[in-house]
Amino acid sequence: MREEIRKIQELMEQEAYITDPAIATSVYLAMALKKPLLIEGHAGVGKTEIAKVLARALDTNLIRLQCYEGLDATTALYEWNYSKQLLRIKLEEASAHSAEEKEAVIFSEPFLLKRPLLQAITQDGQAPVLLIDEVDRSDEEFESFLLEVLSDFQVTIPEIGTIKATHHPYVVLTSNRSRELSDALRRRCLYLWIDYPSLAKELKIVQTKVPGINEQLAGEIARFMQTVRKMKLNKVPGVAETLDWATALVALHASYLGDEVVRETLGCFVKDKGDLRKFQAELDAGHLAGMITPLP
Amino acid sequence: MMESTHQRDLLTTTVRFCRALRERGLLVTPAEAIDAVKTLNLVDLGDRQEVYWGLRSVLTSRVEDLPIFEELFETFWGFNGSSPQSLKGLLGGMPPPTTEVQEPPPTPKRPTKGMALSLERWLNPDEGQGEPIGLPGMSDQEALIDKDFSIFGAEELEEITKVATRIARRLAARPSRRRKPTRKGQWVDLRRTFRRSLKTGGDPIELTFQERKTRKTKLVTLCDVSGSMDLYSRFLLQFLYALQNSFARVETFTFSTSLSRITDHLKGHPYLSALGRLSGDVRDWSGGTRIGPSLTTFNKEWPSLVDKRTIVIILSDGWDTGEPEELAEALVTLKKRSGRLIWLNPLLGSPTYQPLTRGMQAALPYVDVFASAHNLASLKTLERHLYL
Ligand SMILES: Nc1ncnc2c1ncn2[C@@H]1O[C@H](COP(=O)(O)OP(=O)(O)OP(=O)(O)O)[C@@H](O)[C@H]1O
Ligand SMILES: [Mg+2]
Repeated sequence: MREEIRKIQELMEQEAYITDPAIATSVYLAMALKKPLLIEGHAGVGKTEIAKVLARALDTNLIRLQCYEGLDATTALYEWNYSKQLLRIKLEEASAHSAEEKEAVIFSEPFLLKRPLLQAITQDGQAPVLLIDEVDRSDEEFESFLLEVLSDFQVTIPEIGTIKATHHPYVVLTSNRSRELSDALRRRCLYLWIDYPSLAKELKIVQTKVPGINEQLAGEIARFMQTVRKMKLNKVPGVAETLDWATALVALHASYLGDEVVRETLGCFVKDKGDLRKFQAELDAGHLAGMITPLP
Repeated sequence: MMESTHQRDLLTTTVRFCRALRERGLLVTPAEAIDAVKTLNLVDLGDRQEVYWGLRSVLTSRVEDLPIFEELFETFWGFNGSSPQSLKGLLGGMPPPTTEVQEPPPTPKRPTKGMALSLERWLNPDEGQGEPIGLPGMSDQEALIDKDFSIFGAEELEEITKVATRIARRLAARPSRRRKPTRKGQWVDLRRTFRRSLKTGGDPIELTFQERKTRKTKLVTLCDVSGSMDLYSRFLLQFLYALQNSFARVETFTFSTSLSRITDHLKGHPYLSALGRLSGDVRDWSGGTRIGPSLTTFNKEWPSLVDKRTIVIILSDGWDTGEPEELAEALVTLKKRSGRLIWLNPLLGSPTYQPLTRGMQAALPYVDVFASAHNLASLKTLERHLYL
C-alpha cells in the first residue's frame, strides 16, 4: 500500500471514520489528481461524513453547499448585502458623490455576501474542503453551472467582474441517485460507490462510534443488520440507523439483543410502516435468534 | 531498457483496457485514459487491490459500471482470475517474452491472431463487443464534428472521408505565388515578350503570358499504430486512406516498433480489403512504440520522398519508449529536408493533456505545427496548416 494512502486511512480513522482501502485510495487520488470526488451510495452509508472527516483530518475548513430543488446559481455563489447597502445609501445621502459613484461603491466586494461556492474558491490560507451535498436534488441547470465552476474555478459577477480561485478546494459531491446526473459532471469527477458495510466494517463502526457498548451487543447488532439488509424492505437501514439503534440500546442498558428490547427499539432502524409489520411478524414467529447470523 | 519495456506494456494494456471499457459503454475517453496512467504512477503497483480501487475510481462513473469494470479488470489485469502473476509480470521481475503476451485472454467467440487481432476486430465490428451503443444526440453534424474519434462509430467514418477528400482537392488546386510561362494566361510576361521581340527586330509580335504555377506540394504521412494509439488509429487510417486515394502525391507509412510503407496497400483498393492487406503486412500492429528508430529508418531508406516541397505529417501520441535523443536527431534531419513538419497528437484534444512524455518533449522543438487530431473539427483545421 502506498504510504500516502495508508496515511489518509490513518488520519480518517483517527477522526473516527472507519476507512477501507477503496475509500482511502479514492480520496487520495482525488487530492493528487485535483479532481472532485463524486460519492454515491444508499442513504446513511457515510457519504457526507467523508467530507467532514476529511476537513478535520486535513485540519482545514469545511464549506458545505446543501443542494435542494430550486437552488440557483446566485444563492450558491453570492448575494448582495442589502441592509449594508441601504445603510450606506442613507449615509451617503448628503454626500457630493454622483449616483454612478454611489452605485459603484455599494456594488463592490465589501458589500458582497459570499455563499459557499465563492467562499470555497476565495478563502485565504489553506484550501478548504467543499462539500456539495446531495447534488442530485438540484436541477440540471444548476448542475451545469456547477460543472462550469468546477472546471474553470472562476466565477463572474456582473457588477464586479471575474473572480479567480486563489486555490482549488478539495471538492466532494454526494448523491443518493434520486436523479441521474449528467455524463459531463460524472466525467469531471472521480467516482466512489459506498456500499452497505461488511460485517467487520460495521462492527468496527459501532465500536468506534458508540462508546461503552459491550462486545457481545456490538457483535449481535452488526450481525443482525447483515440479515436485515437481505430482507426485502421498503427502506433499507444504513449505518446511521445502526448507530441510532446501538446508542438507544446502550441507553437502555441492554447487553445483548433480547426479544423485548428489540421490539421496544425497532423504530430506530425501521422507518416504514410495512417494514415494521414485517419485523413484528418475524419476532412473533420467534425468529430473532435466527436473524442474528452466526459469525462466518 | 528492461524497465521501459514494462512501462510500454503497462501503457498499452492500460489504453486497451480503457478502450474495452468504453466499448462496454463506460464514460472513458482519452482524458480518463490519461488519468488512468497517472493513477498507475500514484498507487502501489505491487498492491493489486490498490490498483483496482484506484483505476475503478478513475474509470467508472456510476454504480452500473462496477460489474463491467470488475469483469474486465480481471480479464486485463488478472486481478483474481486464473493468472495471478500477470500484473506482476507486467510490472517487474521477468519481462514478458513478447508484447503479445499482454493480449487479454481471448473470449471464446474471438479467435486470437497475434498482432493483427485488433485490426481483425475492426474489420468485423459485429464480432465481440462491438462499437459503443448509440450515444444520445450524437447523430447530427454539429455533434459529430466535436466528437472524439475514440468514440466514433463505423457509420461515421464516411464523414472522415469527406474531410480528407476536401483537403486533397484544395491541396491539389492551391495556386502558388510563383508563375510559370504559358500561352494563355492572366499576366503578360513583359520580359519574355521583349526578349522575343528582339529576335524579330523589336516588334512585340507574340505576347507571352504567365499564369500562377500550381506548386506541386507533396505529402508524407507517418501514422503511429502502436497499442497506445488503438483508440485513434482506425479513424486516422480511414483519413489517410481517403487522402491516399484522392491526392496523387502522398506517401503513407505506419510505425510502431518498426516502419512500414503502406502507400500501395491503400491505393486503389476498397477500404476493407486495404485493411485486410495491412493486417497481413504491417509488423507489430498495436505493439509498442519506437518513434525515434522508426523515423531514423524512414530518413535512411526513403530520402527521396522528402524535399522542400514536402509536408511531413506525423500522427502520434508521443508515447515513445526509445531514447529521446534518437527521436530528436531524426526530427532534425526530417525538418532540414522537408518544407514543413507537422505533428498531430490526438491526445491534444483532451483539455487536461500536457505534452509531458519524454518523446513529446524531445520532439516539440523541431516541429512547425503541433496540433490535435482527435475529431473531425481538428482534421478540418489541419487544412490550414498544409501550405508551404
Ligand atoms: N465508515 C464509517 N465510520 C464511522 N462512521 C460512519 C461510517 N459510515 C457512516 N458512519 C456514520 O453514519 C452516519 C451516517 O453517515 P452520513 O450522514 O455520512 O451518511 P450519508 O451517506 O451521507 O447519508 P444520506 O444519504 O442520508 O445523506 C453518520 O453518523 C456517520 O458518522
Ligand atoms: Mg448525506
